Amino acid sequence: MAINNFFKGAVEIGTAMGVTLKTLTLKPVTTEYPRDPVPMYPRFRGKHELRRYESGMERCIGCMLCEAACPTGAIYVEATENDPEHPTSPGERYAKVYEVNLLRCVFCGDCEEACPTEAIVLGHEFALANYSRRDFILTKEILLNPGEPNVIIRPE
Amino acid sequence: MQPRNWASRSPSFVAIQNSSRWRAAAQTIRYGPGISQLVEAKRHKNKHYLISDTIVLDQERCVVCWRCIRYLEEWEDKPQLGLFERGGATIIDIQPGQPVNAKTSGNIIDICPVGALTNRVARFSFRPWEIERTPSICTQCSIGCNTRLDTRTHTLRRVVGRENMQVNDQWICDKGRFANGWVNDEKRLTTPLVRKDGTLQPVSWPEALTLVAEKLQAIKSSAGADAIGGIGSAKLANESNYLLQRFMRQLIGTNNIDHRDGADIAALPSGLPALADLMKPQYGPDPKYDVIMLFGVDPSEELPILDLHLKRAVRRGKAQLIIAHPRRIELTRYNGPFMQYMPGGEVALLNGLLHLAAKAKEDKNSDAVKLVAKVTEKQLREVAGVEVDAAKRAVELLANAKNALIIYGPMPARGANGVQVRQALQNLANYTGHGERLAYVGLDANSQGCRDMGVLPNALPGHVGLEDELGRPHLEQLWGVTLPVTPGKSYSQLLDSAGDSIKALYIMGADPASERPNWAANLDKLDFLVVQEIFLTETAQMADVVLPAVSWAEGNGTFTNLERRVQRAAKALGNPQTKAAPDWMILDHLAGQFDANWAHDSAQSVTAEISHAVPLYAGMTWNAIGDQGRQWDAFGLRTSDDYAAAEQPVLTAEAGELRLMDGTVLYDGGTLFGLTRQLSNVAFGLHVAVNPADAARLGLEDGTAVKVRNRYGILTLSLKLDATVKAGVAWIPASLAGAPVGALLNGGLEVVSIEKTDN
Ligand code: SF4
Ligand code: SF4
Ligand code: SF4
Ligand code: SF4
Repeated sequence: MAINNFFKGAVEIGTAMGVTLKTLTLKPVTTEYPRDPVPMYPRFRGKHELRRYESGMERCIGCMLCEAACPTGAIYVEATENDPEHPTSPGERYAKVYEVNLLRCVFCGDCEEACPTEAIVLGHEFALANYSRRDFILTKEILLNPGEPNVIIRPE
Repeated sequence: MQPRNWASRSPSFVAIQNSSRWRAAAQTIRYGPGISQLVEAKRHKNKHYLISDTIVLDQERCVVCWRCIRYLEEWEDKPQLGLFERGGATIIDIQPGQPVNAKTSGNIIDICPVGALTNRVARFSFRPWEIERTPSICTQCSIGCNTRLDTRTHTLRRVVGRENMQVNDQWICDKGRFANGWVNDEKRLTTPLVRKDGTLQPVSWPEALTLVAEKLQAIKSSAGADAIGGIGSAKLANESNYLLQRFMRQLIGTNNIDHRDGADIAALPSGLPALADLMKPQYGPDPKYDVIMLFGVDPSEELPILDLHLKRAVRRGKAQLIIAHPRRIELTRYNGPFMQYMPGGEVALLNGLLHLAAKAKEDKNSDAVKLVAKVTEKQLREVAGVEVDAAKRAVELLANAKNALIIYGPMPARGANGVQVRQALQNLANYTGHGERLAYVGLDANSQGCRDMGVLPNALPGHVGLEDELGRPHLEQLWGVTLPVTPGKSYSQLLDSAGDSIKALYIMGADPASERPNWAANLDKLDFLVVQEIFLTETAQMADVVLPAVSWAEGNGTFTNLERRVQRAAKALGNPQTKAAPDWMILDHLAGQFDANWAHDSAQSVTAEISHAVPLYAGMTWNAIGDQGRQWDAFGLRTSDDYAAAEQPVLTAEAGELRLMDGTVLYDGGTLFGLTRQLSNVAFGLHVAVNPADAARLGLEDGTAVKVRNRYGILTLSLKLDATVKAGVAWIPASLAGAPVGALLNGGLEVVSIEKTDN
């Protein structure tokens, strides 16, 4: 009986070692973050951005639909009238204040879906840790000037 | 395409789904964008078209339903909008260069079915699904229109009309709708201030209140209770005013309590019978009043919704208007007898009317006739400056009327003359059989309520005399004190003797320093001045302690309008960052410093106390008043039918002098009005208006900078030619910012001379 167990154990250890030996030659799947960039799927939803038209005009027309769609109440929009001479956005209104509170946001992407002009989009930036609560409020200034503009518009 | 998952998740989105706009959007989401069967290009029209400074028309949205046009024609009787072009190109437009300027034009925004007309002051600052709607009332004049306050993120975003068929139908005027910028203004007071080393510095509430209590008690024990005075405000709620007078009477022990246009005005306690009686004609042909006489009151400028009701009564109900005013006011266009009297000729006019009425009846020996035995038609022409023909027509109408309503305002009722004017009005009204329907209307939101609450030096709450055998013990028992019996000083007396026999003043919601420079000087001489205000007004800047209060939108309160309807103004918003507190709470805590435990826990509990203290308000608790208000019964307060002689000294004007007239305009550009930027163009401006004939005689032109002077002071203004002003009269509206006409009038009637400024 004992001898039988001995062989069985040796086979199992051998199988396990086989896995180890085989894997030893494979390329690693983890990434050395932050030294190396992380591969990003196109539909990943990270930090918000506000987009502009090619002309430089803001896409956001201050319609507040994103605010209404947001399940957590993370968005605050204050719209006002465009100066007809120097419009900020096409149409009659634009967002004077646009704020996203990242402490509330659950990155569901509803704002993006609600937006009629594809102005608000969720980008790929995900490193969002910060030192003060205030810094979690994304102002319009920050939203309009993302580090690396997100150009992917999700098909859905 | 499938309906989106997010549509069902967020609570605010459920609200959107229920709105009709959303349903259209949902169709698009489900079936894709609509495919138009039109092959022609879309018509393009003006999308941002200002038809006035406050209303924007989107001609592309307009469905040419005519409702806006009909409103202006049928209610305002001012066809300022019209249809232009033909067929598919039809547009709504104004006459070239003539913006819509009807005083209630904003109502067309509410009735436009497609949102083609938008409110320029409020548009884009909210979406309909995210605002909170609070039923309230307007507190900018004494009509007390029912409104709805729309708020978002602690700010007032929009005011719209709310239906009350007893008061305003569903209309409100443009001042109530647009001129609300001051509510959210940054300059609002947010913390108590105390003067330290000559400047006002922020302190905590306990520190401020302790100081007020200590100082007032010290002055009371050194100079006596009657050296302290209180000034309430007809712009504030019943609760605020009731507690202020209770504070002065119970804890200070003086009757020195009054408000502007309080005891200085010869008023009548009972107000208008009922606005609804004037509104009737729209439902049927029999108006309650067949003749309406306006004496020294201009509804178009002072009470815009009354103006609307009167127009309706004239046009639909065939009521007749009799107008007596020194200005050819807007309502004179309905061709009723118009008596353009000279300021100072009020009593001469009324006595003349009584004389003519007696003559028409061939009555020679009744008591009334003996009073006017010496009156002649010549006096009517020369002293009052009124055509005898118009006066005869007026008398005939009054004599034949079944129910005539006679309304007078504060302008002719001021000071010593005012008492005579009131008597002369009573004589005339009684003689023609309309004594019961003679009404005084105050102009501020709570003019009536302030009197009802006893913010008067000579009456306790409920129009009870200071020594009344029933009312006085009732209040003494309720408040647990013995009340002072000597009548106090009126508003002008308090301010005239400030710094002299008055050592300390507690001013709530009034700005006397801006009214007369000599009052400002007197306030400076006071030992102690407390001002309870929402802005740092001229008076507040002189105060030793400034207590920050909240506006009508930020606290609960009841207001009594000109027809004695007690209405609720509920709290619609609150600024979480301010330390300002409601008036009742400030006074309640102050009373605590005097070792009195009033124990009110809310404005509603003050309302409940009023319903016990004031028999006229019995049963009017917050809940009982409801959304539509409740009118108290003035039976028993109606005027007596005694006749008494009324006389008025003749106001003589030298050659080159004009008689001065004040009176209110709707867009006065005052402290609060000026804070709504969109309305700056319509404000009256710093003008003195005179008749072109006078201007020609004096060699002055439109727009000249002039000095208006008399023995009480000088004002520098620009001259405005105005054919509606009677020749021989100069008109400077009251409450223009920086033009204190009250200084020149000095509480009575005065003449002025006008000359060009030197430069
Ligand atoms: S991603 Fe979702 S939770 Fe975040 S802001 Fe947009 S709607 Fe709100
Ligand atoms: S981001 Fe889009 S949905 Fe949000 S306010 Fe702007 S336009 Fe409207
Ligand atoms: S009410 Fe509105 S839709 Fe109707 S005609 Fe006037 S602007 Fe056009
Ligand atoms: S009529 Fe008077 S109460 Fe009514 S909305 Fe205008 S100002 Fe306010």
